[in-house]
Amino acid sequence: MLKGFGTILFKELKELIRDPKILLGMIIVPLVMFPVLGLVLGYAVETAQEQAQKATLLVVNNDGGNWSQELIGNLSLAMNVAVINNTTPQQVVDQGLLEQYNSTQFIEIPLGFSQNMTQRTNGNLNITATVNVYGVFQGGGIFSDIGSAGVTNLVTSFNRVIAPNVLYTTQSSIIKGEIQQGIDPSTLSGLMLSQSIALPITVMIMLTYAMQIAATSVAMEKEEKTLETLLTVPVDRFAILMGKLSSTIIVAGIAALTVMIGYNYMLGSITFGMPSTASVDLVKLGLVPSPLGYLLLGTSLFITLLSGLALAVIMSAFAEDVRGATALVGYVYPLIFIPSMALMYLDINTLPLALKAVLFAIPYSQPIIASKAVIMGDYATVIFGIIYVAAFTVVIMYIASRLFATEKILTAKLRFRRRGSKKTAEQAE
Amino acid sequence: MSLAVEAKSLVKQFGNIRALDGLTFNIKEGEIYGLIGPNGAGKTTTLRIVCTLLLPTSGSIRIFDLDPVTQANEVRKIISYLPEEAGAYRNLSGWEYLEFMAKFNTTNASEFKQIINEAAQISGLSDRLKDKAKTYSKGMKRRLLVARALMTKPKLAVLDEPASGLDVLHGYHVREIIKSYVKEHGVTVLLSSHNMLEVEYLCDRVALLNKGKIVVEGNPNELKQRYKGENLEEVFAKVVGYA
Repeated sequence: MLKGFGTILFKELKELIRDPKILLGMIIVPLVMFPVLGLVLGYAVETAQEQAQKATLLVVNNDGGNWSQELIGNLSLAMNVAVINNTTPQQVVDQGLLEQYNSTQFIEIPLGFSQNMTQRTNGNLNITATVNVYGVFQGGGIFSDIGSAGVTNLVTSFNRVIAPNVLYTTQSSIIKGEIQQGIDPSTLSGLMLSQSIALPITVMIMLTYAMQIAATSVAMEKEEKTLETLLTVPVDRFAILMGKLSSTIIVAGIAALTVMIGYNYMLGSITFGMPSTASVDLVKLGLVPSPLGYLLLGTSLFITLLSGLALAVIMSAFAEDVRGATALVGYVYPLIFIPSMALMYLDINTLPLALKAVLFAIPYSQPIIASKAVIMGDYATVIFGIIYVAAFTVVIMYIASRLFATEKILTAKLRFRRRGSKKTAEQAE
Repeated sequence: MSLAVEAKSLVKQFGNIRALDGLTFNIKEGEIYGLIGPNGAGKTTTLRIVCTLLLPTSGSIRIFDLDPVTQANEVRKIISYLPEEAGAYRNLSGWEYLEFMAKFNTTNASEFKQIINEAAQISGLSDRLKDKAKTYSKGMKRRLLVARALMTKPKLAVLDEPASGLDVLHGYHVREIIKSYVKEHGVTVLLSSHNMLEVEYLCDRVALLNKGKIVVEGNPNELKQRYKGENLEEVFAKVVGYA
């Protein structure tokens, strides 16, 4: 055995375990964070299923024949069905019938459906009976095509009753109120997947990285004993704070850019050579942010970053050294990881109100919410988010500037010891 | 002669600890005034209040007739503080560090150049100023910091253990620099030190601090005579009843 190894290992472990900040940050926080994340996802999926069961399926019957009645009857066994006769799909969208029935998709039974079904069931395999499924595209996400899968299952079960492969479906998407014929919402979701994953991950990395830098920039001054001198030079304390925050933002911005480039390259490498779905042009469909969208998204990211950095600076003021600052900032990470990971899988619009409110209240959710909202042209949500985070940032910045303006920046210490513990002689001197 | 520092009944409370307990003292302009006392006596707290880092719990203090509580930015323009455990930015060279600090004091290019050259001379680090501060020995770092504290010729230099970590020769060099600065540029110095030799050599007057109060104040020679001590160490021991 290496001589002295055990002694050093024992001492290192003692030091780490006896520092409550590290213990909390590295062990307790992950222990709490992942179960919470699991609960959020579980609750969201459960609620989505409940809503799906209660949802009404809109059927536009433009056929009126026996087979259409048969299909509607079969669908009615599985869920609530509302039938509208003789309406074009575009009229359904234009007249707001989906909103009226609180639905995100509808089935059109086209004219001639019953005739085709009859011929097909009589053995004419050249004839195809088809229903058209239209789904509203809501911005993508890993589970975003769960809804359209439900309708496909219903058609499959109808086929099972009649005969295999009698009835076919065509899939179309409703994007920003326009019907895009032949574009399957699940294909779109697949194409949008890189965006719905890349941004939350980038925000997560960028925020944690930037907060680490911000926290250590103040803690380093404390550890290297340069802070005291800096605070006595004739410069506005707010300028010191802003200087520190701005330098961190620049470094974090470069880091974010590098992450984005690297990540997109990685995604490109993965999808290269996959069967092409290139017939779907996202630009033509309006599914890439407009210049205004990019501007709003950038603003949302910047404001969120600023609020995170200011918070990190405040927290680091309570640490005595770099290790302490890093551990303290770790307490904020669940507030970054939980919304990032949750919104990677879920669409905030489909969540129950309470959960939606909680996710919206966390400032670090905003760039992720904004990234989906700008694609869908929902600028109001983005602007509201920016205003909310800006207000939060102002409060945080005010606290940070007050902290820098007073002696607290030198004397504040977060203590986990029991109340009434004595200050050290060093501080008193 | 006008007063550089005028402190009246200063009290500083840290939770249950009373670091300063009604401290009163005056420093005349152009004087070197020393604070001596055991650890925890309140020396550093006093210096930090003078330098606008801490606020007094009660009492009043004026620095060249400015209030460090309400006119902190004005006070910072005329003072310079050298903390006992100060450091320099590890990844900046000595030269870059001096430039960084000088920029807070002047925007005039020629004055800036003059300040930096002055600092380079005080530090005596010559070519080593081009190296990063993380490569400096403790003594070299201290010389850089002393140079930084004196380069702007502040009206009041507040020096906590100015020669801490320096060898005999460099300690001597720093003390000579402090003396000549007072003489040539009229700088007032408030210093704290455990080195009684340094205090005796430099200070016009000293105050002996114990438990946040001044127990005795005067000229070092006068105090030695009054308490029949060989040196200030003995005087201090007698004053606090240790000897």
